[in-house]
Amino acid sequence: MIYRIVHRTTYKYKHPVSVGTHVACLKPRALPHHQLAQSELHIQPRPATRTERVDFFGNRLCFFTIQEPHRELVIEARSEVIMEGKATPWPQLALPWEEAARSVPNDHSPAGLEAYQFEFESPRIRVRPEFASYALQSFTPRRPMPEALLDLTARIHKDFCFDSKATSVRTPIEEVFRKRRGVCQDFAHLQIACLRSLNLAARYVSGYLRTYPPPGQPRLVGADASHAWVSAYCPGIGWLDVDPTNNLVPTNGHVTLAWGRDYGDVSPLRGLILGGGAHKLHVGVDMEPIDS
Amino acid sequence: MTVDLTQTPLRYGDAYDELSADGVTPRPHWAHLMESLQAIGPEELGRRWARAERRIRENGITYNIYGDPLGASRAWRIDIVPLLIPADEWRYIEAGIIQRAQLLNLLLEDLYGAQVLVAHGHFPAALLYANPAFLRPLVGVRVPAHSYLHMLAVDLARSPDGQWWVLADRTQAPSGSGYALENRTIVSDVLPDLFRTSNVLRLAPFFRAQREALTNLAQRDNPRIVLLTPGPLNETYFEHSYIARYLGFTLVQGADLTVRKRRVYLKTVDGLEKVDVILRRVDDSFCDPLELRGDSLLGVPGLVDAIVAGNVKVANALGSGLIETAAIMPFLPGLCTQLLGEKLKLPSVATWWCGQKYALDWVLDHLDSVVVKPAFPSRNMEPVFGAEIPPAEKGKFAEQLRSRPHEYVAQEQVALSTAPVWDNGCLNSRSVVLRTYVLNTGSRWIAIPGGLVRVAEAEGSVVSMQRGGHSKDAWVLWDSPVDTFSMLRPRNEPVELHRVSRVVPSRVADNAFWLGRYVERAENIARISRAMIPRVRRAEEAELVCLIRLHRCLESRHSKLPKPKHRRPTSVDLEQEMTSLLTDAKRPDSLACTLAEVSRTGGNIRERLSGDMMFLIGQLRDSIQIGHGTPFLEYPAMLTDCLELLSAFSGMERENINRGLGWLFMTTGRRLERAIYLTRQLREITTPLTEQDWSLLECLLEVADSSMTYRTRYYTTLQPLAVLDVLLADETNPRSLDFQLSHLADLYQKLPRHVPVDLEAMRAALALLRSFDLRKLKYPLPGAAAEHGSDGLARLASFLQGLEGLLPSWSNNLSSRYFSHARTLPITIGQ
Repeated sequence: MIYRIVHRTTYKYKHPVSVGTHVACLKPRALPHHQLAQSELHIQPRPATRTERVDFFGNRLCFFTIQEPHRELVIEARSEVIMEGKATPWPQLALPWEEAARSVPNDHSPAGLEAYQFEFESPRIRVRPEFASYALQSFTPRRPMPEALLDLTARIHKDFCFDSKATSVRTPIEEVFRKRRGVCQDFAHLQIACLRSLNLAARYVSGYLRTYPPPGQPRLVGADASHAWVSAYCPGIGWLDVDPTNNLVPTNGHVTLAWGRDYGDVSPLRGLILGGGAHKLHVGVDMEPIDS
Repeated sequence: MTVDLTQTPLRYGDAYDELSADGVTPRPHWAHLMESLQAIGPEELGRRWARAERRIRENGITYNIYGDPLGASRAWRIDIVPLLIPADEWRYIEAGIIQRAQLLNLLLEDLYGAQVLVAHGHFPAALLYANPAFLRPLVGVRVPAHSYLHMLAVDLARSPDGQWWVLADRTQAPSGSGYALENRTIVSDVLPDLFRTSNVLRLAPFFRAQREALTNLAQRDNPRIVLLTPGPLNETYFEHSYIARYLGFTLVQGADLTVRKRRVYLKTVDGLEKVDVILRRVDDSFCDPLELRGDSLLGVPGLVDAIVAGNVKVANALGSGLIETAAIMPFLPGLCTQLLGEKLKLPSVATWWCGQKYALDWVLDHLDSVVVKPAFPSRNMEPVFGAEIPPAEKGKFAEQLRSRPHEYVAQEQVALSTAPVWDNGCLNSRSVVLRTYVLNTGSRWIAIPGGLVRVAEAEGSVVSMQRGGHSKDAWVLWDSPVDTFSMLRPRNEPVELHRVSRVVPSRVADNAFWLGRYVERAENIARISRAMIPRVRRAEEAELVCLIRLHRCLESRHSKLPKPKHRRPTSVDLEQEMTSLLTDAKRPDSLACTLAEVSRTGGNIRERLSGDMMFLIGQLRDSIQIGHGTPFLEYPAMLTDCLELLSAFSGMERENINRGLGWLFMTTGRRLERAIYLTRQLREITTPLTEQDWSLLECLLEVADSSMTYRTRYYTTLQPLAVLDVLLADETNPRSLDFQLSHLADLYQKLPRHVPVDLEAMRAALALLRSFDLRKLKYPLPGAAAEHGSDGLARLASFLQGLEGLLPSWSNNLSSRYFSHARTLPITIGQ
């Protein structure tokens, strides 16, 4: 299966922007089960400078600056991703979660160290007793890590209501937890906070999710959105992805863009502008399977 | 009264006393100092102490206290008795802190590089990953010449057994070396003989080496080096400007710099100038809002990327705050063996990082004997003295430590040593901490001989400049000849003469321009008010009308007078309005507010103004003290005082400031502002005047300080035409409009990159003004209705009206040409 993804972001400014400095994190990662066939980033107006850098987490960032006055900025990322083979089956046999929590800090192997860094608080994730006690209802004594993880994912899906109006990108997770409402980013953050509060390693994954039009209706172009889910580390097995927004295990319908400690590490676009005044933002994502 | 050791009453338990082992006899290296102080005598010492205080005020040496309700900068407080360190002891300290700097530099190099120490378990991974000061974008970025640390500050304390211990390391932007230098300058000045005969190691070679080290870092000839400060509100801003001036670097704020094509540039009035090295006093995470803290207004967007590209060097390297935590201290002995193959020479005070199981257990068992602090200084937490926790709350506190142990460190409390301080005519003892500095020149490490001694406020052992303690100089008494090189008076080095001062950042020009405008505005408000106030109470109907017309010259948008269409203002209205105009700090057009702006804009460029000038600005800010009980008729006296200060300021502006670009902008601002006020006043004269209005003319002459000129020429006859001649056309009168316009055009022409169209407009305005022949102007005489023949007057009125629109537009054009890019703060989007 090959997906063509078009992710178009438009900023409209009230006043001209004289200089803009931006970072885009919009290039899908190459992973064993998905290869990057093609990836382009089109920027209007033409950037004065443009450089690529691989960040600390292995994501590919594009830095660009615009030095001519402009009132509109359009960034269009076009990617083609080849999904290959079947996703790894969900592990049935695995060690109890307490042992996962115990073993990672003492594991000085590259994989162990790589995982360990995702156990701590990060700018948008707090470790709190209330998150631990919420998680403990799923993480019962000696329960295998993957099973407990699925249970927590299902509970978040059940207990929390999807509501795109209830939160913003800056809403703290404590508030999401209190309101029991939010969007995919909030649920991912919340689940990460729960796992880290139990001393388990968990990271934030940004990407795309294939959506299906209602029966009998055509697929709407640009109606998709960028998505976010969670990856947790299970020693001996590796990273396990779960999607608390949809209560499922990501397979061939999820395309991974980037991962980090939280949204702040992987926000698709961020930047600083001189001038501009108020701005309007429009984001359209279109994910389409190509038959070939 | 004599300076007598028996008058040293305070000794804190078993603390080590620097001065004396037995409380009576001075240690040998203090003997000479004590004899000298004895010889000078307490009265003379008191006088010298006062002299030192005065110099501090004159030099404008300040230290800002965050959270100080006065909001003002406080004078730096200094003790004139230095702390003495004998040569042998200094050699020991010097070797210890240099080794420590080498060790910490290597540690940073590994943590931001290969991370071998983490993989091999020599450095706990949690201490890296949980640390908010670990800047991931900087991992793997090559730092030249192994110079993560350009400078390290080490806080040292001496325990009762005489051993020196490290209390803390400052690894990212260590402060205080400039204060140490200033302390030395002052103390060697008040105790010159003692200083000369004590063979004290000099500080200047250290700072010379710092300048060389930063120059070498640039790896090119004549590099541009800037000192990046968070700005005048920062606690140590004085030091930033002092060091920048002393080392010859440009003092800049984040908004003065911009990144273009992965290079850093300084925005100057001449355009963009490339920057090679940034000596920064801004904390790590605030340096780049694009890749670090998005909410930072102190940084430069794109700085990290410019560093990655290798186009700019930052000292200390970004990210070096990672090890500015006591949590690393327990690991230093092992790391020292590992990285340097040596034993750690200077011990750290006993420290437990709770992220280690056994350390946490020990701390919980011995809570009463330790002080608990945050492992990561960015977490807001006051140190907790274990012994002071109420028994009922101990369990809760232990739980807090257990839930996130890696966030806490515990340290043993050191009984600090005490040293003599000069306190109200006698010597007392106070606890002291010595902050020393080590510099990395790229090829070797150099320690500052001495450093900054911080003194506890009163009896007790909490030493904190932030809480308002004071400081001392430290003298290393050397045992062989010392290098007497001075940066201020180089002897053997050829001096490079340069007349034109260095670059002027746009922000500096902006503040200079507005300082000029606000000073002139304050003067106009004060002069007009002073002319009005004595007349208000005794004003009859006709004079009241004149006063209201005079008030109109202020063009005050926030006037409290009733609108003429509602009712005619009474003298009571006017009295209230004047009080409000002078004192209401919430009114942008008030004198109080204008003086506050003078102090703000002046404070923003204080590094470019003399101490005397800053002192004047401070006095100006406090010159109008009008309370509820102040009688109305006492205002003029206060205004006269204020005007005297303003004249003193003008005098300094004319006689004491180099005619560089900064001055050019300040004076241009003044000319523009004066022209704006004059034009309004002249407009009032050209509007038809009746005989009763003529007292307005008298006021206007008074306001323009031109009464004498007028009287010597015309005796007492007040004639509108004659007044016009003095205020409008007389090119020799520095308060005439002609004078303002001709000087404005001359000044503007000297600005780099000036706009020819505006210059032409200024010259055209002047030519037009000079084209009016006042002798031919028919001014309607009192009683006569405005009739034919007053064409010339109408033309003049319309000229003035046009000029009223042009003057602000010139100011705006100037702003957008030279300052606008310095004013706009970047806005973060998408986060």
